[in-house]
Amino acid sequence: MEKVNIVTQAQPWVDRFPLTGRYTYGVAGERFFRELKENGRFFGTRCTACDVVYVPPRLYCLRCFAPLEEWVEVPSTGTVHTFTVVHQDLDEAPLPTPEVIAFVQIDGCDGGLVHRLGEVAPEDVYIGMSVEAVLKPTAERQGGLTDIAYFRPTLR
Amino acid sequence: MGMRRVAIVGAGMTKFVRRALETGPELAWEAASRALASCDLRLSDIDGVVLGTAPDAFDAVHMKGEYLSDGAGAWRKPYIRTYVGGGTGVFSVIQGWYHVASGVFDTCLVVCEEKMSSHIPHPQGAFITIFDHILERPLGPNLLWIFAMEMNAYMNRYGLRKEDIAYVAVKNKRNAADHPAAMLGVRDITIKDVLDSPVLAWPVQRMDVSPIADGAVAVVLAADHVARRVTDKPVWIEGVGWNVDTTYWTNRDLSYPTYLEEAARMAYRMAGIKEPRKEIHVVEPYDPFDYKELHHLEGLLLADRGKAPEDAATGRFDRDNENHPDWLPSSPSGGLLGVGNPIAAAGLMKVAEIFWQLRGEAGDRQIPGNPKRGLAQAWGDLMQIGTVVILGV
Ligand SMILES: [Zn+2]
Repeated sequence: MEKVNIVTQAQPWVDRFPLTGRYTYGVAGERFFRELKENGRFFGTRCTACDVVYVPPRLYCLRCFAPLEEWVEVPSTGTVHTFTVVHQDLDEAPLPTPEVIAFVQIDGCDGGLVHRLGEVAPEDVYIGMSVEAVLKPTAERQGGLTDIAYFRPTLR
Repeated sequence: MGMRRVAIVGAGMTKFVRRALETGPELAWEAASRALASCDLRLSDIDGVVLGTAPDAFDAVHMKGEYLSDGAGAWRKPYIRTYVGGGTGVFSVIQGWYHVASGVFDTCLVVCEEKMSSHIPHPQGAFITIFDHILERPLGPNLLWIFAMEMNAYMNRYGLRKEDIAYVAVKNKRNAADHPAAMLGVRDITIKDVLDSPVLAWPVQRMDVSPIADGAVAVVLAADHVARRVTDKPVWIEGVGWNVDTTYWTNRDLSYPTYLEEAARMAYRMAGIKEPRKEIHVVEPYDPFDYKELHHLEGLLLADRGKAPEDAATGRFDRDNENHPDWLPSSPSGGLLGVGNPIAAAGLMKVAEIFWQLRGEAGDRQIPGNPKRGLAQAWGDLMQIGTVVILGV
């Protein structure tokens, strides 16, 4: 509490925000992740009126508010809509290997997933690139986004 | 003041439950789509959306307003989230009201959602950081402490008996037994049950306090000319009021909610009400605790200071006691104590209840005598804000 002239010597009051969340998947999320975990398949929900397939699936159409009951299987392939190459972590420390993060537009639907790209050098990634999901082995899947290990360029 | 008349034309809600499988946006959608369906409107008929929800910490999602927006029907619409703590549910209607009264929108969908089950070990943990980090947090306070101290100050000031206060918990949990969305309706509960429940923080016992819950509620507001087209039973927003006291609650007299009296006077003035005890036919005061319903009835000038518990004991606030000389049915829904307390949604539930009561659509909860005017109220921030809406037909 004494007067200081150097700002870094000023004493702050330190406390913390204790916070732990316990989330539910939701009605639509529960089914999406169950299919992914157990069967390795991607599903979306379709709004006939708006002609839209939502992936990740939703319980309702955000455009017209209709309940969505039509579940459709979609491929686990897609297109890189945009991407970035991450060089630093949250504390600005350099990553040992730069990481490619992409928004993958899933084929045949309106939307997609943000995920890592693998089996590709950052300099070879481009917008419009065709990619496919690489899933973890069934036994390792937990029912979450990281059941998808990464997306990689589609093998031709 | 050159403002347009605004009516509530539809309302809908989810069940209030301990722990919903649904995500917050899914709950919001369920309530919002029911409200729209209740007045045969579609999302495309809605000009703007207001969302009310309590601290981000409850859903454990920061920017909860944005997170919930799709579920609230806000996709590509003007949208705002509003938040004044526990006062949010009633304030959200005030915010919707001035969107429409001002002429900016003809229709406004107002949605309140809360999912308190996300937070572990208990949502009280989320409240630790609402306190001043230097003056209060070193003691590890929680909200129960301060409400217990408020209750004690109120009881001591007027020499109140716990059994008269407990009457409110009994009344509300019994009323809630007729609410299809209620979590805690109990038809055969007694005052003894309340007085025998475990002490949480004296004088607050388990059954003096409302339970945490997940749930959502929505109402549809419309300007005069649209309201008359949509329904032959518009319920008009006749008065609104809100008022905030200092956050430093140790600089206040806790035995009387002056800020609420100010909010109520603002609403009465707007509604042209001179004698509230005669002109208000049904009231939904905010009741997270049983003493709060009484405290608020006094702040709303609907009971004399320190006399609401005595009034309650005479049955003045019972739902079906129309022969009482000063009858004023209070919390006919069952309130937060009976229906449940998903914070913002619970406040909006009170507005929805007045809407249903004034339209004669409250089912088994309908009060007799064709009520013409009702009041809903909520309370929040650091027990410092009062929010009031007066509805009439
Ligand atoms: Zn649609």
